[in-house]
Amino acid sequence: MKNSLRELRAQRGWSQTDLAERLNVSRQTVNAIENERYDPSLPLAFQIAKLFDCAIEAIFSAD
Amino acid sequence: MMTLNAKSASSSRSRQYLKELGGAMLAYAVVLLASISWLNRHADLASPWRDLAALSPMLPAVAVLWAIMRQMRRLDELQRRVQFEALAFAFAGTALLSFGYGFLEGLGYPRLSMFAVWGAMAPLWVLGLLIAVRRYR
Repeated sequence: MKNSLRELRAQRGWSQTDLAERLNVSRQTVNAIENERYDPSLPLAFQIAKLFDCAIEAIFSAD
Repeated sequence: MMTLNAKSASSSRSRQYLKELGGAMLAYAVVLLASISWLNRHADLASPWRDLAALSPMLPAVAVLWAIMRQMRRLDELQRRVQFEALAFAFAGTALLSFGYGFLEGLGYPRLSMFAVWGAMAPLWVLGLLIAVRRYR
């Protein structure tokens, strides 16, 4: 899947570590999602969407 | 500030794991040494007592298992996946090696101790971790 997590994070001025702390995951997990090496679970995707106050499909899209 | 908090939360979890695992490993080492010493001093004792003494280090080893399982539950979803892939690699790799050598034993190769199983599984786990971490980097 493609995602715009890196752009959204940059807009907030957060580091990967900042975002990881907010999502209660490791920095490596944030990095893997941003690099599109790992697709998050549905609960984590919902958590990300809630944090950035937008719909899941606004962040994640099919290839 | 957030960066510091994230680092401290992550390092706090690591510290907790090291504390639990370190304590369990220390207890294992102490009981192991005591067990070996006792067995050396009671070579003539009946078997059940010697068996129990030989098995006694397995009690603190259960604490090692508990520490590892607690750490597994602290991991996030990607870290668990990485561990799963590494453990599956080690599990299947150990099966391959043990069966392969078992067939060679049938041809007369020397019989290996059961300790050799962990000697194969542990490095395969580390190798599996390196492969899985690289895959999701």
